[in-house]
Amino acid sequence: MMQLWDVEVKSRKIEIVLILAVLLASLPLILNYGLLILSSFSTEMVTNLDPTSFRPTIDNWILLFEGRLSVTGGVREDVVRYTINTAIVALGVAGVVVLVSVMAGYAMSRMNFKGRSLIMQLILLLHAFPGVALIIAVYLIFRATLPSDIELARIYSFAYVIVARAALEIPMSIWLIKGFFDRVPWEVEWAAIIDGASRLRVWREVMLPMVKPGIAAIAIFAFLAGWEDLIYVRTFLFDRTLATYIESNINVEFAYMPLLAAAGTLYLLPTILFFILTQRLLLETSTGGIKG
Amino acid sequence: MVSVRLEKVTKKFGKVVAVNNVDLEIEEGEFMALLGPSGSGKSTLLYLIAGIYKPTSGKIFFDDHDVTNLPPRERNVGLVFQNYALYPHMKVYDNIAFPLKIKKVPKEEIRRKVFEVAKLLRIEHLLDRYPGQLSGGQQQRVAIARALVKEPQVLLLDEPLSNLDALLRVSVRSELKRLQKNLGITAIYVTHDQAEAMALADRIAIINEGVIQQVDLPEVVYNRPKNMFVGGFIGNPPMNFVEAGVEYNETVKLIVGEDSVWLPQEYIEILRKLKLQKVVLGFRPEDVLVLKDESQVEPGSSVIRGEIFTVEPMGREVLLTIMIGETMVKVYAPPTQYYSMGDKVFLQINPAKLRLFDPDTTIALEYLVKT
Repeated sequence: MMQLWDVEVKSRKIEIVLILAVLLASLPLILNYGLLILSSFSTEMVTNLDPTSFRPTIDNWILLFEGRLSVTGGVREDVVRYTINTAIVALGVAGVVVLVSVMAGYAMSRMNFKGRSLIMQLILLLHAFPGVALIIAVYLIFRATLPSDIELARIYSFAYVIVARAALEIPMSIWLIKGFFDRVPWEVEWAAIIDGASRLRVWREVMLPMVKPGIAAIAIFAFLAGWEDLIYVRTFLFDRTLATYIESNINVEFAYMPLLAAAGTLYLLPTILFFILTQRLLLETSTGGIKG
Repeated sequence: MVSVRLEKVTKKFGKVVAVNNVDLEIEEGEFMALLGPSGSGKSTLLYLIAGIYKPTSGKIFFDDHDVTNLPPRERNVGLVFQNYALYPHMKVYDNIAFPLKIKKVPKEEIRRKVFEVAKLLRIEHLLDRYPGQLSGGQQQRVAIARALVKEPQVLLLDEPLSNLDALLRVSVRSELKRLQKNLGITAIYVTHDQAEAMALADRIAIINEGVIQQVDLPEVVYNRPKNMFVGGFIGNPPMNFVEAGVEYNETVKLIVGEDSVWLPQEYIEILRKLKLQKVVLGFRPEDVLVLKDESQVEPGSSVIRGEIFTVEPMGREVLLTIMIGETMVKVYAPPTQYYSMGDKVFLQINPAKLRLFDPDTTIALEYLVKT
């Protein structure tokens, strides 16, 4: 495969200036997250930019995982449980989004049926609709379908929030993955059909492996949407997630801020981790086997 | 191996007629080239035979078996694409094994057959690689192997050599011809490259705008084109066309500008029958003698006067562009002479090789008489 190089016309000086400009622009962000992480390892918040207030400790993190958050009136907070809950919601959203999008996206890209372009436009319209604007209707359905058994209702609330949150992500994901399917040459699909494969088999064994980077992309976006969601989780989920936990403690009068900083850092972690781990896959746009 | 027969096949895409009422028969074991410019409908015709498209009307037969409504997998055809269409996420071995895997052939047999066909195409050493790690020529071999491994009744090839560089194209071309003859497989080959069609095919079908123009042996297509399109498409450079008047006296001759051209007996008789006042004179670049001096003209032969417009040395010969009145023609001349722009020259056309066409229908006169 050919290595792609930039056009070799830019000067070194301009490049340095540009890099500095980019650094300057992202300085508030870097500072913001840097101070948060630093505070989580300190007995006092360092957000006042005073380095003398930084006294290193890892007690915040130990307390966090012991679930001892004295400020909430003696109620022990099970942070490990919240992390698992958050992960269940995030992975669930990612799973539902991927499952629906790879099927719908393939159909939108490759199948010719009546009303296809209308559906595509409606999907786009749906994407423009904010989730908050729908929440009352979504809540009414939730109330109407909620099982009366409390344990069952708890499980149901997980399923419901996953599907409801996924529904908000699906329109964009369909458009995104459709673009990936569009880029697979028809000839590859034809070749598989000529080789005797059924449409379903072509989709599963030939098309899906070729849109892997796209699947990774929508999975990550969906995971992060589930991970960071507050409104839907707060409205429907009986249990707490990291987001609702931090949100409910942030305004408490005796909130122990360095500990919350640790919780915030923990909450940030998967976002950073996910991007680092999948960066290569996201950038990889190999549709090898096609030369020319 | 089967014969393939198309009966009145038409394919429309919305309002566009891609293939128009085509009748075509490809014999068992024959190598047929479908030749035409891009957008002529030749690939559509191939996909109709493969079963990827269904004809709007008409029927397709493999031997006497009507396959018009059969899905591709029940037709047992092998198809090789221009862009190879290999599965990039599978190793070469799995690419070739894919059709057999779908057919649920036992593993041992798959192994045997893949190695057999890989050996035939000399790609045994590449089986462990991914398509992206292969060169264009190697990828094309893998694509051919994948098409052959299921022992198809018909091998269909859609411009398989277009993505290869010029040198490789010529060597793969001769290999392909040998392979087809050794296997005795019925093959249909789509190309826009007339040299490729001439070199490979037993017969050539020339297509333009969805209509078959002529189906014949390569030498017939070259020497006796049925119409001006075929003459003007085949050959590099293609046939030259010059408008000419006809003079009927005790003999019949052509008038080009102030010059007259004698005709062979065959054409004199045809013209006496058709009584055309105007014809188009067609001749190939290599069927002309370029004379620099009137004294070189043999007595009794006819010449057309022209002026050299450009001179392009090609090594073995020189390609001259010559203006005859307002018409430009291209002719080959031996490099032993020195030519320069603006030279006045005399063109002596080999009377046995010249062709005449009806300017209205563009059909060659001899075909006009036959029908």
